[in-house]
Amino acid sequence: MIRSENGYFGEFGGRYVPEILLPALTELETMFNELREDPSFWQEYVTLCQEFSGRPTPLTPLRRLSKELGGAQIWLKREDLNHSGAHKVNNVLGQGLLVQRMGKKRVIAETGAGQHGLATAIMAARLGLQATIYMGADDIERQYSNVFWMRQLGAEVVGVTTGARTLKEALDEALRDWAASVETTHYVLGTACGPAPFPELVSYFQSVISQEMREQALTQMGQLPDEVVACVGGGSNAMGAFAAFLDDKDVGLVGVEAGGLSFKEGEHSIRLLPDTAEPGIAQGYKTLFLQNDDGQLGDTHSIAAGLDYVGVSPILAHLTQTGRVTPESATDTEVTEAFKLLMKTEGIIPALESSHGLAGGFKRAKTMRPDQHLVINLSGRGDKDIFNIARAFPQPEWPEFLKREAERSQELVDAAKENR
Amino acid sequence: MFPKQNDRLQVMSHAVVGFPTLEENEKAIAGLVDSGVKLIELQVPFSDPVADGHTLVNACYEALKTGGSVKATLELCAKVSKQHPDASFILMSYLNPLYRYGLEQLFRDAAAAGFKGMIIPDMPVEQFEPFMPLLDELGLAPILMVTPNTSDERVARIAKSARGMVYVVSRMGVTGKQTQWGEEFHAYVKRIRQHTDLPLAIGFGVRAADDLKALTGTAEVAAFCSKYIEWQRDSGSDVAAQKMKTLLTDAELS
Repeated sequence: MIRSENGYFGEFGGRYVPEILLPALTELETMFNELREDPSFWQEYVTLCQEFSGRPTPLTPLRRLSKELGGAQIWLKREDLNHSGAHKVNNVLGQGLLVQRMGKKRVIAETGAGQHGLATAIMAARLGLQATIYMGADDIERQYSNVFWMRQLGAEVVGVTTGARTLKEALDEALRDWAASVETTHYVLGTACGPAPFPELVSYFQSVISQEMREQALTQMGQLPDEVVACVGGGSNAMGAFAAFLDDKDVGLVGVEAGGLSFKEGEHSIRLLPDTAEPGIAQGYKTLFLQNDDGQLGDTHSIAAGLDYVGVSPILAHLTQTGRVTPESATDTEVTEAFKLLMKTEGIIPALESSHGLAGGFKRAKTMRPDQHLVINLSGRGDKDIFNIARAFPQPEWPEFLKREAERSQELVDAAKENR
Repeated sequence: MFPKQNDRLQVMSHAVVGFPTLEENEKAIAGLVDSGVKLIELQVPFSDPVADGHTLVNACYEALKTGGSVKATLELCAKVSKQHPDASFILMSYLNPLYRYGLEQLFRDAAAAGFKGMIIPDMPVEQFEPFMPLLDELGLAPILMVTPNTSDERVARIAKSARGMVYVVSRMGVTGKQTQWGEEFHAYVKRIRQHTDLPLAIGFGVRAADDLKALTGTAEVAAFCSKYIEWQRDSGSDVAAQKMKTLLTDAELS
């Protein structure tokens, strides 16, 4: 597993936060440094993942699709089969163990697509904690089904109406809450970003993905994969998929970012490719941020709310700089094509975030030999994001159904009012 | 210049550069100086101001639309520090705009523009330490923040690099909400005094004349910022200056 030097990975990382947050971060760092030297803690974590989230997740060969594309053998690491439907729950369960040790009774989280918020709400319900989830007002509209479930699970969901109303603003707002509540509240940061120790801590928990993948590859392929591909938003599923292979120089590691509509400013979320993001220090850490010459963080776009973020994991920024990780991007159109292809050829419904990994992976697989193996980390499933997916694939019967359903829901609400 | 320890309380107030417009900033600052305010923070607007509450967050967003930037802040300071030689101007910014500008160049240009000090909430003392010889040479004071949960060991480290005054964050949280000035607060101020002879500026939650009265005799400076920006937002810079004058009279500080 990669280790920081005092919170830094090369020039990236660090801890640039208002003084008020420092004690909690150093407390967390001390606890994390002790726990990760204790093998029984990792065992406790893996057992929890097994009991609660169905780990290990399978490594699924895509036989029909591989044949159709005519290149490498493609495999999917099935993080979509986690409880809650995405890899986000791994990190959340791990941080839940930390919360229990700290004795804090409240958790807060930022969320983009809502997957991390949902996972946090699930963990809070299970451990009897109070949860407040910050989510950009625009993301709430994009991912309302996750909001619905978070509220049903007992979490408070706060819509953030400042700025571009997406993940960046949700993270700012969570930091503001934490500044006021840090003595009783743990901030469950959802990705491998933010001030130290979060990038390292989140990667540590997510590394369960590549640890399993490694063993499964040796058993099922009889070798390590030639390439591992993952989509990159903040970078937690990519770090999870890459972590155990960092020292295996023959395993190519490819991160696929959201190419959005075009390379134009504000129309994508690409940070790792040249001429996109620049080094900056914001939201508590140093990394490559999309920003203007005045250091104002930029606007981003992606068809997938979970990739719509202005910064990127400092670990991935570093690994890209050293050449260990190869950055790629996929446009919104390529992503919807890959989504359809997987669904129709293999019967698996991917999340739009993960479909970036698919688009990038399929492209690369075509250029490889049939005796080579490529694993794509399928970070989440798409069937639960039906509203969002329906928007990506417009068809007349869906809005017609929604109208009828809206009428039925309204009748139920009205009837309930009358009975009261 | 900065007050000395045990000087009578004075108010430090605020401008967000570009809010409501760059022209209005000059007028507002003149109004503040006329009202008797001698310490004024000029805040570089930022897209992600994590230590600020909604008043200043929204002012930042507005200011970015009207051309607020690091460059505009330096230009504004060059003007107003000449216009108001009795007042001291303090650069307030989040780190990234300054980092993008280049920190060393920024420090030099800030000093040349007439800034006397800087408040950078997300730049920890460790990051300031290598720049201390340069900052002392330039006479540009890092006004470092301490918070109620800062350990004694860390307060000592912060006090070592702090110049001008120490910014005492009065409570947990962000700017723009009320603070209680109880026994706990006084014990906290006493604890900070043990580490420094610099004057103390109290910030976060100073919103009315009663707050200023409560702080008179306890601290040398009170940061009256969010509430002033609310006045400016709701009633314009002239009325805001008038209210500032009334505030200082009511607090018996004029």
